Amino acid sequence: MVAKDIEVAPIGFDFSNYARNEFLGQSLGGLPKATSTGTTIVGLKFGGGSSGEPEGVCLGADTRATAGPIVADKNCEKIHFLTPQIRCCGAGTAADTEFVTNLISSNLELHALSQGRQPRVVTAMTMLKQYLFRYQGHVGAHLVLGGVDSTGPHLFTVHAHGSTDKLPYVTMGSGSLAAMAVFESSYKENLTRAEAIALVARAIRSGIFNDLGSGSNVDVAVITKAGTEMLRNYEMPNERGVKSRNYKFRRGTTAFSKEYIRDLIVKEEVRSTSGAGKEQGPAVAVAVGEGMDVDP
Amino acid sequence: MAMHAERSAALHELTSAPIQHAFNPYEDNGGTILAIAGKDFSVIAGDTRQSQGYSIQTRYARKVWQLTDRAVLATNGFAADGNNFVKKVKQRLEWYEHAHHKQMPLKSIARMIQTILYGKRFFPYYVYNILGGIEEDGTGAVYSYDPVGTYERESCRAAGAAQSILQPFLDNQIYFKNQTPEPGAEPFIPGNLPLSTVLALVVDSFTSATERHIEVGDGLEVYVVMKKGRPTDDLVGEGKLAPGMAVEELDALGEGDGEKTFLVTRSLKRD
Amino acid sequence: MFLTRSEYDRGVNTFSPEGRLFQVEYAMEAIKLGSTTVGITTPEGTVLAVEKRVPSPLLESSSIEKIMEIDAHIGCAMSGLTADARTMVDHARVTSQMHAFTYDESIGVESCTQAVCDLALRFGESVEDDDALMSRPFGVALLIAGIDEKGPQLYHTDPSGTFVRYDAKAIGSGSDAAQQSLQDAFHKQMTLVEAHTLALKVLKQVMEEKLDENNVQLAQVTREHGFEILGETELKQVIEGIPA
Repeated sequence: MVAKDIEVAPIGFDFSNYARNEFLGQSLGGLPKATSTGTTIVGLKFGGGSSGEPEGVCLGADTRATAGPIVADKNCEKIHFLTPQIRCCGAGTAADTEFVTNLISSNLELHALSQGRQPRVVTAMTMLKQYLFRYQGHVGAHLVLGGVDSTGPHLFTVHAHGSTDKLPYVTMGSGSLAAMAVFESSYKENLTRAEAIALVARAIRSGIFNDLGSGSNVDVAVITKAGTEMLRNYEMPNERGVKSRNYKFRRGTTAFSKEYIRDLIVKEEVRSTSGAGKEQGPAVAVAVGEGMDVDP
Repeated sequence: MAMHAERSAALHELTSAPIQHAFNPYEDNGGTILAIAGKDFSVIAGDTRQSQGYSIQTRYARKVWQLTDRAVLATNGFAADGNNFVKKVKQRLEWYEHAHHKQMPLKSIARMIQTILYGKRFFPYYVYNILGGIEEDGTGAVYSYDPVGTYERESCRAAGAAQSILQPFLDNQIYFKNQTPEPGAEPFIPGNLPLSTVLALVVDSFTSATERHIEVGDGLEVYVVMKKGRPTDDLVGEGKLAPGMAVEELDALGEGDGEKTFLVTRSLKRD
Repeated sequence: MFLTRSEYDRGVNTFSPEGRLFQVEYAMEAIKLGSTTVGITTPEGTVLAVEKRVPSPLLESSSIEKIMEIDAHIGCAMSGLTADARTMVDHARVTSQMHAFTYDESIGVESCTQAVCDLALRFGESVEDDDALMSRPFGVALLIAGIDEKGPQLYHTDPSGTFVRYDAKAIGSGSDAAQQSLQDAFHKQMTLVEAHTLALKVLKQVMEEKLDENNVQLAQVTREHGFEILGETELKQVIEGIPA
C-alpha cells in the first residue's frame, strides 16, 4: 500500500508568500518600508534596604509613535498590561508589541486560572522569549518587563530574537542610550519610591529631548506588593502650541461643479397580490374594487 | 514606536545576490526652510535643528544666510554641502563687487547660483536652496532651486524635511488654492498679503511642522528683507510681534542703499 | 628713444635699466601709424568715428571694418594693427556673453574694457598648457564705447593694458591735432547730432583725402537702440551738416 502525502497542519505563520514578496521587493525596489525602534522605555528596581520602603519596580515610557519621520501618534500608550502586578513596556513595531503583550496577557490569565495563583514575572518572561524566539526576530517586539510576584520584584529586558536580561535598571528603544546615560550617572540601590519615579521620569525626558524617535509625554507605572499605580501622562513637557492665525474657512469656500440632492428616505410602493403573478393594479384601486378584508 | 515591521537583514543576505558596498558621501541633516514674497518685502525662514538619523547634532545650526543688503539664501539638505555652497556664493559675491564695483543684484545672484549648482552636475551639492530678497524694481522675490540648478521665481516655496507638509498649506494660504472667493468679492491676488499675516503664516507653518515631523524643531529664524523706504512699523515696535518672539535689525553689508534686513527669532519645541 | 636701444628691446618681457618695456613702447608707436579714430560721449549716447584709408580705387571700401560690435550695448573702434583687434574683440565678446549667461544681466562697460586689458598683457614666453598666448604685445589701441546703468561711457585702451575713461578721445596718426580740436569744441551738454558732426569735422581736418561716405565710418551707442553703425544715408546726412 502506498502511503499518502502527509498533510502539514495549518498552524502558525504562513510563509508561502515569502518568495513572492522577495521577488516583488526586488522588482519594486523595496517592500513597504521597515522601520526600527523609535521609543524610550525604561525600568528600575527600588525600595528595600536602607530606604525603609517596600521593594518594587518602576517602569517608564514616552508617548510618541512614528511612521518614518512623521509623528503618527503624539500620546500613545507603551506600558502594556500583562497581569494586575506585571506590566510590559514595548518598543519596536507597534503592532507586534501590542499583539504579543495581549497574547501573553491572555495566556497568563489562563495560567493563573489553571494554577489557582497569580503568575510570576519569570513566567511572563519565559512565555515572551519562547514566542519571540520561534519567530526568529520577525516579530519586532523589544520589551522591558517588570512586576512583583510571590518571590519579590523582578525586572527584565526581552529582545526581539528572544534573548533576555535580568538587571536592576534597564532601558530600551532608540532613546535607550540617552536614558541609560541618566541611569548610569544617578542610579543607586534602595531608592525610595519618590526618588525612583523622579529618576525614571528624568530618564524618559532625556529620551524625549535627545532622541528624535521619542517625544511628547512621560508615562510611569509603579508596581509594589501593594498593587500597581499607572501614572499616565505623569509629565507633559511638550504641550501643543497655540496657532497665531485662525484657519476656519467661510462656508462655501470649496467649489463644486455639480449639485445633486438625493433623498435618503427609501420609498417603496407596496402592491398587495392575492394570486401569484397576477396583475392586480394599484393597491388602492384593488382595495376599492375587490373589497378586501381590512383590519378595523 | 514604529508603525511597520522590519525585514531581517540576516535573512536577506541568504537569499539575494552579493551586495556591492560603495562609499556614500551624502547625508540628510533634516530641517526645513520656507520663503514667501510680498509686494515690497520678502520673508525667508528656517528652523535651527540639525540631525543625523535619530540624533540631534545641534539645536542651533544656521540654515538661512544674509548674502547682501537685498538677498537672503536658505539652504537645506546635506549641511556640509550647504555650508560650503554658501561659502562659495559669498566668495563669488565678493569677487563680483571687486570686479564690477557694485553689489550683485538679486536676479544675478539667482542666475549665478544656477551656474554654480549646474557646475557640479555629476557630483551635485545635495542642497535644496531658496533665495529671497528684493529685486532692482523694489518687488519682493523668492527663487527656488533643485540640487542641480533648475530655478524659478515664485511667490512662495517650502523645502526640506517638512516640504510635503508645508507646501500644500502655503498653496492654500498664499496662492488661495481650493478657495473660492465670496460671491461678489474681489478675486484673491497672490503675493499681496500684509507682512503681519505672512509672518503669522510662517510661524504657524513651523509650529505645525514641529508637531508632526521629528526632524523639525528647536528654533526658528525668520529673515525679513524690506524695500528701501518702506515703513517698518508693522514689524518693529511694542506689541507688533507675538509673545516669545524677538526682532533685530541687521547692519547693512554694502553701501547701505536703503533696503533693510530684519531677523525675527522664536523658539520651537525641543522633543 | 631709438638711440638708447640695446639688447633690452629684444625680450618682450625684459625691462631696460631705465624701467621700460621697449616692445610695448614700439607697439604704441604702431598705433601712431594707424588711421585716425575719434570717440565722443554725450548725455544721449556715445559716438565713434573712424577714417578708412582707401589706397586704391579698386578697393571695396565697405570691406574695411574698423568699428565692431562687442555686445548689444557696447561697440569699439580701433587704430593700429587692426588684425590684432580681432583677438581682443573676440575676447570681449566671449566675456560679455559669459557675463550675461552667468549673471542674467549685461556686462558693465568698464568691466568689459578691463577684460580686454587683462588680455593685452598676456604676451611673452608661453608656459606649458597655456597654448593661446600672444608672443608680442597687441599693436592696436581701442576706443570702447558703451552704455550701462552708469550712463554712456568711452574708454581708451592701449597695448600696455592701461585703460582710461574719456569724454572725447582721438587716436591714430592724426590724433594730436584731432585731440586738440576735440578739446576746443567739446562740451558736456552736447547732443548726439552735434557729436556726430564734431566727430566727422575733426576727422575731416586731419584726413589727407576728401571726406565722403566711403572713407569714414560712424557708429553710436544709445540707450534706446544700443550699438549701431550708421548707414549710408544717415552718414551722408551728417557729412552734409559739416560746416565748411
